[in-house]
Parts: sequence; C-alpha cells; structure tokens
Amino acid sequence: MPNPFRERLLKFGIPGLAVILIAIQFYNAHTQNLSKWKGGGYGMYTELHYIYNQVHIVNVSVDSLQKHNPSIKKAIHKVKLMPNRTNLQEAGEHILKITNKDSIHIQLWKPQVRFKQQSYTRVLMDELFLKATDF
Amino acid sequence: MALASLLLLVMLTIYSVLKAVDNWQWKVAVICIGILSWFLYKDRYKHPVIWLVLFTVLLIDLYFDYFTVANHHFMFVLMVGAVISYNYHQRKDILFINIQWLLVLVIAASVLQKLMSPQFMSGDFYYFMMNRGFLFQSFMNVVPGSVEIINSNDDLFASLKKSDPNLGLTITFRDVVPNLGVICQVFAWTTIAMELLVASALLLKPKKTWTHLLLILMIIGILCTRIETGFMALLAICGLMLSEKGFLKGIYVIIITGCILLIATRIGMH
Repeated sequence: MPNPFRERLLKFGIPGLAVILIAIQFYNAHTQNLSKWKGGGYGMYTELHYIYNQVHIVNVSVDSLQKHNPSIKKAIHKVKLMPNRTNLQEAGEHILKITNKDSIHIQLWKPQVRFKQQSYTRVLMDELFLKATDF
Repeated sequence: MALASLLLLVMLTIYSVLKAVDNWQWKVAVICIGILSWFLYKDRYKHPVIWLVLFTVLLIDLYFDYFTVANHHFMFVLMVGAVISYNYHQRKDILFINIQWLLVLVIAASVLQKLMSPQFMSGDFYYFMMNRGFLFQSFMNVVPGSVEIINSNDDLFASLKKSDPNLGLTITFRDVVPNLGVICQVFAWTTIAMELLVASALLLKPKKTWTHLLLILMIIGILCTRIETGFMALLAICGLMLSEKGFLKGIYVIIITGCILLIATRIGMH
C-alpha cells in the first residue's frame, strides 16, 4: 500500500518548492524593491530593466569609479538591482572608504516613461549625504 | 518522456557550458567528484550521475548568484529536480503533475506580477520597449521609417543618459508606428489575457489538444516579440512532457530544436 505522505510529497514537493521561490521573489520585489526581472524573474517584461536605474554622485564620475574599481561596480550594481535605502547607504559608505573622500552626495534615480506625453525622464528616488566622520 | 528528458539534458549541458566560468572552482570540484564516483562506485548505473552533477552545478550558481541568475535558471532547477526524482520513483503520473503545476505556477506568477505593475498595465513599458526597438526586432525592418526613428530615439536616450539627472531633462520619443500608445495598452491586456488563458487551460485540461495549441501559440508569440529562447525552450519541453498527440510533440520538438540551435549559435538568449 502506497504511503500517502510520500505520494503527496512526490506530487507536490517540486511545485511546493516553486511556490516558495515565487513567494521569496514577490516578498523581495514588493518590500525590498528587488527588480522584478530577477530572483526568479516572474516579473520579467513587467517594468523597465534595472539597468535603467541610475546611481549619481554629485561632482564624481560614477562611470570612472566603476571602471577602475570592481568592488564599487559590484556595490552600484547591487543598488540598481535592489534600489533601497540599505543598499544605497552601503554603496555610499563603500565608495567613501575606497576613494578616501571627506563626504559624498549619492543619489538614486529611477526611469519614468509616460506614453501620453511620449516622454522619458528620470525621477529622484532617494539620496544621501554621507561624511567620512559619520561612521 | 525519454525524448523530452534528452532534449532537457542537451539544453542543460549547453547552458552549463555557457555559464561554466561563473563560480568555476566549485564546479570543477563537483565535476571531478562526479567523474570519480562514476569510476569508483559500483552501483553507478542505479543513479543518474550526469543529471546529479549538472543539477549540483545549477545549485552552485543559484547559491552564489541567487539575485542575478536568469529566470530560466530557476525553471531549470525545478524541472531537473522533477526529472531526477522521476528517475527514482518511475511514476509518469507524478512527473506529469510536477510539470503541469510548475507551468501553471510560473505563468500565473507572471500574470500576477503584470497585474501589480502600474508601468505594465498603463502600456508605458511596452511603449518604451517598442520605441527603443527592443520588441519585434525582426519585423521592424518592414515598417517604413521605423529603423530611422529607433536610431533617433537611441541618440536622444544616449544624450540624456550622459547628462546630470539633477538638470531634470526629459526626452520626447518619436513613435515607431502611429497610435503606439493605444497599441501598447491593447498589447498589455492581450498579453495578460493570453497568459491567464494558458495557465487556466493547463490547470483544468492539461491533456487537451487546444490547451497545447494555446501554449504553442503563446510560446511562438513570445519568440516573435523577443528571442527569449532559453525560457521558451523550457516551456516547450514542459509542453512536450504533457502532450500525448504525435503532431503536438512534433511542433514542440521543432520549437525546442530551433531554440537550442539559436542558443548554441548565441543568436538567441541562453
């Protein structure tokens, strides 16, 4: 006689795992601002790709920083992928530490498309003024 | 089932080769253990060693790059998990239920995310993608003037990207076709309706011919919109596992083979 628990586990174990993965993605996408394109990608093609998020540091070339320092590139990528205050703060602190600057003004910009106006622009999502003496 | 498993194994091998560089130290260790166990373990024929090795390779990338791996990486993990499990229980009905629910859940999750995205529901997302030439790339050449408009939008976008965002600049896109806004709204709702229909059909009538015709239509529609070959090949393999009629299997095999060729030649996305 087949074991009912084993039977259920075999039938719904894999779909159950899928439900857990989907729940993790939804949680991260809707509370941590994870890009819907990632973490399982169940929201691919539902919003602009996270590469269009922009990290801007006033009076500093972010492109140049990323080009010369892989750890900064990684930190900025993380902010774009999951644009929230924690990741912005971490990236800002890391950049301050690596560049030996006294302070930085780091901003996070998100793309905004409006088909009615046929327009594309960037809107400020968050910004931080960080001083080396703060931590 | 054997053909579907074989095609999945081919896809998995190509995918693993294309992603071989990522976390390679761990992968080399796993492959060495796999080869050694094949030679040293006397019950080797009882276990799907190749599947287990490639599955572990998938898990390595999933562990280290959870938030950056492609969406179909997750699908791979779940499908390969189901196939390995089948190797031990040998119950086709259980594999059928595994794959059926996987398909339903993945498509339903996609519908839900779309419904929860204001950018998608308003048509703004498709509007941006169309005007940048990211959708229907193969068909854009036949629309008079569209290539020039896309290039001009690209130039505008590049100049905006270089500028300081604090200046508050806005660019105005030229539309690739007239009434693009309305077209994008209709397209957004059609996408949701189609996905919802396919998910419902797979949930309620997974063996019916029309269910598979709808799934095939959705796969071909997505491939025409954008060459998402990796994920579409996996959806087609799921379809192949669920279908019973010869001609449906034939269509799925053609789609899968085409996608594999595009992935291997790097024309499509892996």
